[in-house]
Amino acid sequence: MKKTIFTSILAASALLFAGCNSEGSTSGGTSEDGTFEPSQNIEMVAPAGAGGGWDTTAREVARVFGETDIIEENMTVVNKEGGGGAIAWAYIHGKDDSPYNLFVASPPLMFVPLNGQSEHGHEDFTPLANMIADYGAFAVSADSEWEDLNDLFDQMKADPESVTVVGTSAPGSMDHMQFVRIAKAAGVDPTKIKYVSDQDGGALTSVLNGSVDVFSTGVGEVVEQVRAGNIKVLGITAEERMEGEVLSDFPTAIEQGIDESFINWRGFFGPPNMDQAAVDYYEAKFKELSESEEFAEVREKYGWNEMYLNSAEYEEFLNTEYEEIEVLLEEIGLGN
Amino acid sequence: MSAFDGMITGFQVALSWEGILFVLIGVIVGTLIGMMPGLGPISAIAIMIPITYGMDPAPALVMMAGVYYGAVFGGSTSSILLNAPGISGTVATAFDGYPMAQQGKAGKALAIAAIASFFGGTVSVIMLMLLAPALSSVAISFGPPAYFALMLMGLTAISSLSEGSTIKAMISAVAGVMVVTIGIDPQTGTQRFTFGNINLLDGFDFLIIALGLFALAEVCMLVLNRKNRSLSDDQKLGSLKVTRADLKEMSGPMTRQSFVGFILGVLPGAGATIASFISYIFEKRISKNPEEFGKGSIKGLAAPESSNNAATSGAFVPLLSLGIPGSGTTAVMLGAFLVLGVQPGPLLMSDRPEIFWGIIASMYLGNIFLLVLNLPLIPYLAKILSIPRPLLISLVIMFSLIGVYSISFNVFDLYMLLVFGALGFAMRVFSFPAPPFILAFILGGMMEQAFRQSMTISNGNLAIFVNSPLPLSLILIAFLSLVIPGLLKWRSRRKLAKM
Amino acid sequence: MLSTINQRIGLILFIIAAIYLYLSFQLPNYPYAPIDADVIPKGLGVLMLILSAALFFSKVIETEAEKAKRNIPKKELLVLLAVFAMIFLYILLFEAIGFIIMTAVFIFFSSWFLGYTKWKTNIIVSILFPLGMYAIFVFALGISLPKGILPI
Repeated sequence: MKKTIFTSILAASALLFAGCNSEGSTSGGTSEDGTFEPSQNIEMVAPAGAGGGWDTTAREVARVFGETDIIEENMTVVNKEGGGGAIAWAYIHGKDDSPYNLFVASPPLMFVPLNGQSEHGHEDFTPLANMIADYGAFAVSADSEWEDLNDLFDQMKADPESVTVVGTSAPGSMDHMQFVRIAKAAGVDPTKIKYVSDQDGGALTSVLNGSVDVFSTGVGEVVEQVRAGNIKVLGITAEERMEGEVLSDFPTAIEQGIDESFINWRGFFGPPNMDQAAVDYYEAKFKELSESEEFAEVREKYGWNEMYLNSAEYEEFLNTEYEEIEVLLEEIGLGN
Repeated sequence: MSAFDGMITGFQVALSWEGILFVLIGVIVGTLIGMMPGLGPISAIAIMIPITYGMDPAPALVMMAGVYYGAVFGGSTSSILLNAPGISGTVATAFDGYPMAQQGKAGKALAIAAIASFFGGTVSVIMLMLLAPALSSVAISFGPPAYFALMLMGLTAISSLSEGSTIKAMISAVAGVMVVTIGIDPQTGTQRFTFGNINLLDGFDFLIIALGLFALAEVCMLVLNRKNRSLSDDQKLGSLKVTRADLKEMSGPMTRQSFVGFILGVLPGAGATIASFISYIFEKRISKNPEEFGKGSIKGLAAPESSNNAATSGAFVPLLSLGIPGSGTTAVMLGAFLVLGVQPGPLLMSDRPEIFWGIIASMYLGNIFLLVLNLPLIPYLAKILSIPRPLLISLVIMFSLIGVYSISFNVFDLYMLLVFGALGFAMRVFSFPAPPFILAFILGGMMEQAFRQSMTISNGNLAIFVNSPLPLSLILIAFLSLVIPGLLKWRSRRKLAKM
Repeated sequence: MLSTINQRIGLILFIIAAIYLYLSFQLPNYPYAPIDADVIPKGLGVLMLILSAALFFSKVIETEAEKAKRNIPKKELLVLLAVFAMIFLYILLFEAIGFIIMTAVFIFFSSWFLGYTKWKTNIIVSILFPLGMYAIFVFALGISLPKGILPI
C-alpha cells in the first residue's frame, strides 16, 4: 500500500513539473512565415447557461467544425453564465491576445454595455466573423383586432396607455429595443411605449391569455403558435420576406411602409489584440464552415439565416449598429 | 385521434424494445446525475443532448424525459442524508428527511421518499394522459396579477413554517426578500445593491442560499458535535422497513400533494420548488399534530417528495401541448426537441402523436424503473451516514462547494456560499428559523416582478388584482388562511373563558 | 441597556436595515414604470426597521433551550473558525492549483484536524474522492473543473 502511495505522489509531482513547463507557451501557434495554425485545444465560450441561443450556436459550430475536420484541433464549449454575458466578457477580456479563446455573441454585446451593465463592449474584442442572422417578430393574440403593424401603431399613437408590450429581456435590451426601433420609425413616441419584461417563461402565456397585447420576440419562437392559430404575426424586422413554410407569410415592417429593420446577428469574437495571423485563420475557417453543407443543415434545423461577414465587414457593420442603438437609447433616456 | 387511440400509440412506442431500453438508460443516468452535487435536471438534460444527435426522435425524447424526472428523483438523496439539497426542488425534502435520517432511520427516509416520488410521478402521469389537452388552457390562464396572488398565498404560509418567535420568523422572511432584490431588476434594468460588482448582477442562485443556509450551517453543528458517536446502530441505518402504518400515514399527503404538485407544475414559472414548499406547508396546516413537522415527520417528507415529482410531469403539459417552456429545465428540454428536429407546440399531438403519447406512456415505465432500481440501492446509500464524523464533514463541505461551482463556474459564488454558511450558522445559534428565509427568497422575487408587471399593465391601478375572478379568489384564500386559524383560536379561548 | 441578546441582535438588524434603506434611496430613477425598482426595497427596509425595533423591545424571555444553543465554548468557536479558514483557502487556491490537488489536500487536512486518526483511510479517501469526482464530471459528463497545475 505504502509503495503505491509513494508512487502516486511521485507521479503527481512529476506531472506538476510537466505542468509548470508548459505554462507560458499558450499564445504560440503563429509560425515563422506568419501563418497561424492552432496547436492546442480551442476554448469556445458561451456567455450563458446551457440550452440558450448562444449555447446552441456555440455547440453546433464546435460540433460541425469537429465533424467536418475544418479545424482539426479540439474545440470545447465552456458555459460562463452571468450578468447577461458580462462575466464571460470580462473573462475573455483577461485573455488578452490569446488565439485560443473565442466566444459567440449577438446584439446583447452592445445592449448590455450600453445599459451600463458591462465594462466591455464589442469594441473591446476582435471580431472574427458573423455567421447567422435572425429577426424579431411582433405577435398578438389570434383574435386581436389588429391586422397589421399600422393598426397597432395607430392605436399606440392614439392611446399609448392601452397597449402593453412584453418581451423576455430587460428594458433597454433586445426585445424592447427592436420594438422601439420599428415603432419609432412608424411615428410612435418612443417614450410612451409600455414594456414589461417576463424572464420566467410567462411572456407568451401573457399574450395568449390577454394580460398583455404584443409579444416582441424572435421569429423562431412564434412559428409553431402561428401554425396552430393561437397568435398572428403583425410584422417582422427582416428587410425582405423570409423563406420557409410559415415564415414566408410574415410581412416585414418595410413592406408595410415602415422603413426600418433589425438584425439579430450572431457571430464570433476573440480576445483583444488577437494576432492578425490568427484572425485571418479563423475568418477563413468560419467562411468554410458557413459554406459547408453540414452547417446549412444546422441553419435549416433552427431556422437561422446565412449572414457571413468577414472580420473587417463585421467590424464596420457593428459600428454602424452601435451608433444607431446608442442614439435610440439616449432618446428614451436609458443610455448610460 | 382520440386520447384512447393516443395512449395505445404511446404504449406501442414505450413498450417497444427501444422504448424500454432508452427509458431505462434515461432514468439511470438521470438518477445518478441528480445525486451529483449541484447537477439537477437542467444540467442532466444539457449533458445528454449531444448523445442524442442522429437518434430517432421518439426513443431519444423518451430517454430525455427519463433523464428529467430521474434527476428530480435522485435529487432527494443528498437532501435526506446530508441536509445538502442538490437541486432546488428538494429543499423542502430536507426539512423532515434529514431529521429522520439523524434519528438512525436513513434507509426508511429514503424509502419513503422513493415511494412518495413514485406515487406522485405515477398519479401525475395518469392526469397528464387524461388531461394534458384540456389542461393546456389552465397553463395559460395565469397572467401577472394571478401570479402575484399565488405568490401571496404562498407567503402567508410563513407563519406556519416557524416555531417560537413570530418576530424572528418575520425578520428571517424579510431578510430573504432583501437578498433577492440584489441584482439587475428585470422590469427596469436598474442595478440594485450590486456595488458595481459584475458577479452580483444576476443576484444569488437559489442553490447558494440553500446549500449555505442548510448544508454548511449543518456542517457547523456537526463540527461542534463531532465527538458524539456518528450514529449508534449501523445495522438499522439501512433498514428499509416501512410499516403498514407508515404507508397509511403517508397515503393522505401523497394523494393530496400529487394533485397540488401537478397543478403547480402545469403553471409556467411555478415549478417543482414552489410546489414542494406549498405542499409541505399545506400538510402542516391541515395536520392534527403540526408540531411533529420538522422533526422527522413521515407526512412532512412524503408531501414535498410526491409534490415535486408530480410537478415535473405537470411541467410537460405546457411544453407538449403548447410548446411553452414553463421553467429553465423545460426550456432546455425544448432545446433537446429542436436538436432532434421536433418542434413542440400546439400541433405536436396531431403531427407527431407517437412522440407526444410516447413520452407520456414511457413515464409509467420510468417511474416503475426508478422505484425498482432505487430501493435496492438505499441500504448502500444510507451507509454514507456511518462514515466517521470528521471525514463526513469534509466530504459534505466538498459536496457543497462542487455543487455551487458547477452552477456557474464562478469562484465568487463559492465565497458567497461561505458567507451564507456563516449566516445560516448564526441564525441557528440565535434561533432564527431558516425555512421562512428560503421561502421568501423563492416567492418574494417572483411576487415583486408579478406585482410590478401588473402595475405597468394597469397603468398603476391596483384594481387589476380584484376585478378578475382568478386573482381575486386566490387573494381571498390567502386572506382566509391567515384569518381563520386566528378566529378558531379566539373562539376556543372564549369557550374556555366561559367555562 | 443592551442587557439581553435580543436587544443586541435588534440593534444590529436596525443598523443593517438603515443601511439598506439608505441604499434604496440612492437607486436611480427609471422613467417608464409606475412602480419603480426602489419601491419594494424601501418597503422592505422600513419593515425591517420596525421588526428590529419590535425585537429590541419584545419582552419575550429567552428559553433555556435557546440559551443552551448559544452557549458554545470559545475553543469550539476557534475550531469552527479554522474550518472556515480552510474552506476560504480552498476557494482562494483551487482554480490556480486545480481541483484534484486542492480537494485531496482539503479533505485530508480538515478530517485530520477534526480528529480523524486513521490516517491510512484518510489518505485513500482524500485521493480517491477527488479523482472519482473529477473523472465523473470531466470525462463522463463533459463539465470542466479547474485542472490547475496538473496536465490532465
